[in-house]
Amino acid sequence: MKRQVPLVLCFVFGIVMIFTQFSPHSFSQGIYEEVISWALIIGPFALVLATVTLIQTHTARIRRRTEHWQYSFVVFAGLIIMVLIGIPFKPQNSVFEWLYNNVQLPMDATMFSLLAFFIASAAYRAFRARTFEASLLLITALIVMMGNVPVGDLLSNDTASKARQWILDNPNLSARRGIILGVSLGVISQSIRIILGIERSYLGGGD
Amino acid sequence: MDRRIVFILVALAVIIPMLLSINLPVSVSEPTQKFYDYVESLPAGSTIMVAFDYGPSSLAELNPMAKALLKQCFDKDIRVIAITLVVDAPTLASALIQEVAAEKGAVDGEDYVFLGFRPGAVQVILGMGTDIASVYDTDYNGTAISEIPMMQDITNYDQIDLLVDFASSDTVESWIIYANVQYNQKIAAGVTGVIIAQMFPYLQTEQLVGLLSGILGAAEYENLVGAPDKGMQWINVESFVHLLIVGLVIIGNITYFIMRREE
Amino acid sequence: MDWNLIGIWVAAFLTLSIYSVLYRDNPFYRFAEHLFVGVSVGYGIVLSIYQGFIPFAWDPFVAAVTGESPTGFIKLIPIGIGLLFFARLSPRHTWLIRYPIAILIGFGAGIAIPNVLRANIFEQTRGTIAPFAEIAAGTLSGWGIFEAVLMVAGVICTLTYFFFAVEHRGPVKWLSKVGIAFLMIGFGSAFGNTVMGRVALLIQRVDFLLGDWLHIIQ
Repeated sequence: MKRQVPLVLCFVFGIVMIFTQFSPHSFSQGIYEEVISWALIIGPFALVLATVTLIQTHTARIRRRTEHWQYSFVVFAGLIIMVLIGIPFKPQNSVFEWLYNNVQLPMDATMFSLLAFFIASAAYRAFRARTFEASLLLITALIVMMGNVPVGDLLSNDTASKARQWILDNPNLSARRGIILGVSLGVISQSIRIILGIERSYLGGGD
Repeated sequence: MDRRIVFILVALAVIIPMLLSINLPVSVSEPTQKFYDYVESLPAGSTIMVAFDYGPSSLAELNPMAKALLKQCFDKDIRVIAITLVVDAPTLASALIQEVAAEKGAVDGEDYVFLGFRPGAVQVILGMGTDIASVYDTDYNGTAISEIPMMQDITNYDQIDLLVDFASSDTVESWIIYANVQYNQKIAAGVTGVIIAQMFPYLQTEQLVGLLSGILGAAEYENLVGAPDKGMQWINVESFVHLLIVGLVIIGNITYFIMRREE
Repeated sequence: MDWNLIGIWVAAFLTLSIYSVLYRDNPFYRFAEHLFVGVSVGYGIVLSIYQGFIPFAWDPFVAAVTGESPTGFIKLIPIGIGLLFFARLSPRHTWLIRYPIAILIGFGAGIAIPNVLRANIFEQTRGTIAPFAEIAAGTLSGWGIFEAVLMVAGVICTLTYFFFAVEHRGPVKWLSKVGIAFLMIGFGSAFGNTVMGRVALLIQRVDFLLGDWLHIIQ
């Protein structure tokens, strides 16, 4: 029950999805559509996992009084306010939207913009032409950076953007295609292993 | 050099050009031109599905290009169905569409509709291939899809002339793998800087009919649409920060080689 | 009360609180960081309920129970399976979440195999070879031929680098070294573009602070 049934379910759903895609018969298409609708129904419940994990992490921090544990109350305050306003009054409610636009959105945007500072600092400290490979990476990055902005064309008489485009269209494309082919072969073989029950890590530990 | 000095230099490289409002000409790259030409080639009454697959952390790069595309669509009487596969996008996307629609006089339900978010990216993409109403039975505001005038003659991808994915993660690949392969849906993308480079193999195979590359793509598109806005302003400011970073890399390397020689 | 104006001041305060970490870690930053996590998860819960749970699970459940939809009872099965995610709340029954996870994983694997094969293996291989048809037809110029050869060489060398079944010695070693060179150019391109992306995020925040908040710029 604990391991065999999930393995069977995984196999059945995997095989059904493979075969129904190749069969245009209306019965087969009916099954295909039904399975998609099942996946759509089951998917939203997975939200429980993420929420429970977050709540458990911060409850544990408060209970154990780990460093800065007081801030876990701020996490709960933010979460509870959004839920208390959003659930009864719907997400289109103006207070909920106000909180999104003036609290969540600016913080999310600012948090990620910090990386601009860290990238600049790292570029100065660590971006060194130590080896041939590192030099290639560095020179490409500099050309792309200058090709990405109008001042690059101004200083290079339109060469920067052309060089950037050529790099992206040619050597970059080859490298990316190599990665896509490699990763996709990996995805396919892993999917086959999952369906056949050889790969079982998704079942987690325990019996 | 204390890294905080670098931080101050970066801040100044943004603030000073912003105050001076410098305007340098922006040329248009081929992937952007292809994107624009494809949309221009669509006759009035065509339908584009726009997927706002990004949250607030990427709005700086993607909002300007989404805005320029919506302006072009409403000017050309191309109908827009907007959706999102990303949970933190609906409020942002809804506001952006309403802003452009108000500016262009587009009518909700006739010229555009925002269907909102549904979880499970792959299932959502596949589900809409059979019947959009099987995934979205109402729009974002709760109006039944059967009561929305512009959705009367739209069932699935067969009636959608182009899908545009504004993306900050791997959703473009999902659209290509599932909507393009399974349902022959034409796809174009506007993406954040982080994922630009990985899009190029799909451009060459025409699995993507066009590509807008980050804030540069936004500026180029604003240029083509003839509606200069934040994209054009910000790419000019961007110039000075890039100059600073290139300068820092060069100084860092010169110092490194001098020190290595001395050793 | 002008809630718009208050909103701008709140957003400016939170923006500056986060930037304060650039000087050093401090209570303002920690407050904003934790508030961000809480609010984001709260928003996600509300949207997932209204835009996921209600249309996909609750509405079909009501339709099935009230007999509104004649075949609706079938939907009770996936709803029941989805409910097993709640088993996560009870340590003794946690194993039950394997059922819905197994179905989603099986579904994902099954749907991926043929589509990934077509989109990423067949199409990408076709794209690599296609220019040679143009060479054969005589429609490609000298420079175009160089680019076509470069592309094939790049793809083969990059794949060789990832090919671990054969020991990297002799010609294989050299092919994989060339592969590394292509990868470095690929990563350099990604880095250059990432810089553009991250800087754009900063510019947007400064635009907000100088424009919407301080009204120094238009």
